[in-house]
Amino acid sequence: MNGWMGKIAKIDLGSLKQETISISAETRRRFLGGRGLGVKLYSDLCPAQTDPFAPENALIFMTGPLTGTVMTSGRTQVVSRSPLTGTICDSSSGGSFGAVLKSAGLDGLVIQGRADHPVYLYVHDGEVEVRDATSLWGLNTQQAQKAVQEKTSAKTSVACIGPAGENRIPFAAIMNDKDRAAGRGGMGAVMGAKNLKAVAASGGQAVAIADSEGYKAMSSRIDRVVDKNPVTGKSLQVLGTSVLVNIINAHGMFPTENFRRGVFNDAEGTSGEKIAETLLQRQSACYKCPIGCGRTTRTKNKAGEGPEYETVWAFGAQLGVSDLTAITEANYACNELGLDTITMGSTIGCAMELCEAGAWNGGLRWGDAGKLLALVQDTACRRGMGAELALGSKRLAEKFGRPELAMQVKGMEIPAYDPRGAQGMALSYATSNRGGCHMRAYMIMPEILGHPVFLDRFATAGKAEIVALFQDISALVDSTVLCRFLQFAMGISTFSEMLRVVTGLDFSDDELMKIGRRIYTLERLFNIRAGFGRKDDTLPPRFFREEFQTGSSRHRVVKLEEMLDDYYSVRGWDQDGVPLPATLAELDL
Amino acid sequence: MAGKIAVKFYGLLRRQVRTPAVEIEAAEMRILELLLAAQKKTGQNFLSDLLDREQGLLAGTMILVNGENIRLKQNLETRVRGGDTVDLFSPAGGG
Repeated sequence: MNGWMGKIAKIDLGSLKQETISISAETRRRFLGGRGLGVKLYSDLCPAQTDPFAPENALIFMTGPLTGTVMTSGRTQVVSRSPLTGTICDSSSGGSFGAVLKSAGLDGLVIQGRADHPVYLYVHDGEVEVRDATSLWGLNTQQAQKAVQEKTSAKTSVACIGPAGENRIPFAAIMNDKDRAAGRGGMGAVMGAKNLKAVAASGGQAVAIADSEGYKAMSSRIDRVVDKNPVTGKSLQVLGTSVLVNIINAHGMFPTENFRRGVFNDAEGTSGEKIAETLLQRQSACYKCPIGCGRTTRTKNKAGEGPEYETVWAFGAQLGVSDLTAITEANYACNELGLDTITMGSTIGCAMELCEAGAWNGGLRWGDAGKLLALVQDTACRRGMGAELALGSKRLAEKFGRPELAMQVKGMEIPAYDPRGAQGMALSYATSNRGGCHMRAYMIMPEILGHPVFLDRFATAGKAEIVALFQDISALVDSTVLCRFLQFAMGISTFSEMLRVVTGLDFSDDELMKIGRRIYTLERLFNIRAGFGRKDDTLPPRFFREEFQTGSSRHRVVKLEEMLDDYYSVRGWDQDGVPLPATLAELDL
Repeated sequence: MAGKIAVKFYGLLRRQVRTPAVEIEAAEMRILELLLAAQKKTGQNFLSDLLDREQGLLAGTMILVNGENIRLKQNLETRVRGGDTVDLFSPAGGG
């Protein structure tokens, strides 16, 4: 078999029973791998009401047909039901873990059950070995990865949880290859509930390539395309993702103090330009990645990875904090403890507004950089105020009687683009299958950055169709499994070419788009069964009622209702957001 | 009446021109004229990072006049006046 390794292992940590899941050629063609095949497997295995922390819940690590082959192909998709949102969730991580898992002989690993004591899994030669992890429990993610490598091999790639995952914090991350994170949606907490400290992999199996000559020629050409592109070949390399700080701030949509303003006066001091001048030691790159958007940094106290744009915002403008060292060290702490920085920072922002409003006597104030580190540490360990912050913003704001102060969709915190500044992004957030996430349809590309075409960010007409298109492309790329940043340099036909050369299968552009649409619709079907619907395809009331008074997004609100009916119509869903029978038939669902 | 137009450089452009901003004295002018004046003042040829050979905007170039993208106005024919702020970004991305 070309592209795929042809084996997905399934293990029950309670009974220790192992089996191989066979995937038909037809199913591979319909869902590819990664997010798509992971969601398909999850939907087949688990009812929508499955408690994310129950033993029967499945946690699925997936690679794709391109994993371990072309550039940026070291990524992994982790799929389960999110303890933060209750939706289907996939979380994507860079590094090399995906490529190594495949070299160990697996396309994917499905984990159910709960071990009666801490364990880790060691995948090698197509086999899955369950090993005792009692001595690893309590270690942070850096210590745990090192310890597992000492017990296996220095070449082992390790995906693990830290104390946050062990304590089932609903936004705990899985960390791999040092500081790469499957950050969003609490996949680390699902892992912790299984008493599973780590999944480690090592191996030497190569991925079979259908057309090796074509592969070489194509790789050289794509290398040149990515190198010549000003975003992938220059901007991301030199300044990382935080180049966005000044861009989004200049557009008046850099969420400040829990989305109450769109301009952060101290943005410059937390920008990618400033990081490059002060903290940056070197850029870092994932497996076979020529871009290298990662930032290896050093403060006066410590060295580590980050911050990326979202984290700069979450611990910066969102909290009114301009101390770049405090932001960076909070980022390091999240990496070590295994926490999603976006939800962590946004929840602290929610807490700050709750305190200011007098709803919570927590003593937090805007700009309180000195408390960040302790708040992060206390959250991971459920200590003091951290026990409240560990709820995530939705449950926290509900607990203190002000649910409207949580900046979330379906329980997941909205990231660093205020939706009042980009109507398409607003629709993307509202209809995202995993909640307030920018990665389902990154409408900032056309609405702000002008890729692949420039769109009027304040217009609503026609946005429904483009959001649906972007959602489908994202689902597709997440299923191949490659880095989304390639989309700055290449279109759908290049993904089609890569699939052809690697797998030997011809996919038309239309078929690939249909695969993306099928995956998005399958996720939607799961969420419908889990109780989600039109009522949840919305945003916090702030975005409909409160206008900024300054900045270039002033006097704007989100006009969701103007787009939502169109969106459902484009999707082939009824006006409650439920896929119509004809749509399911067309997509073979 | 003439006034100062602030031209701010970000990202890679700032590295190239080695200054965060310059001021151009003018009553009113087209953006293209402003860019040429700013290029002359900095002594750095940064226009090739923003414009193509036919002096059209490169895909991904962002030029904001008081926060508004000139693509939503009259592109390079957009007029700026003393007191305006112009932000210049060469193509960039992230997520």
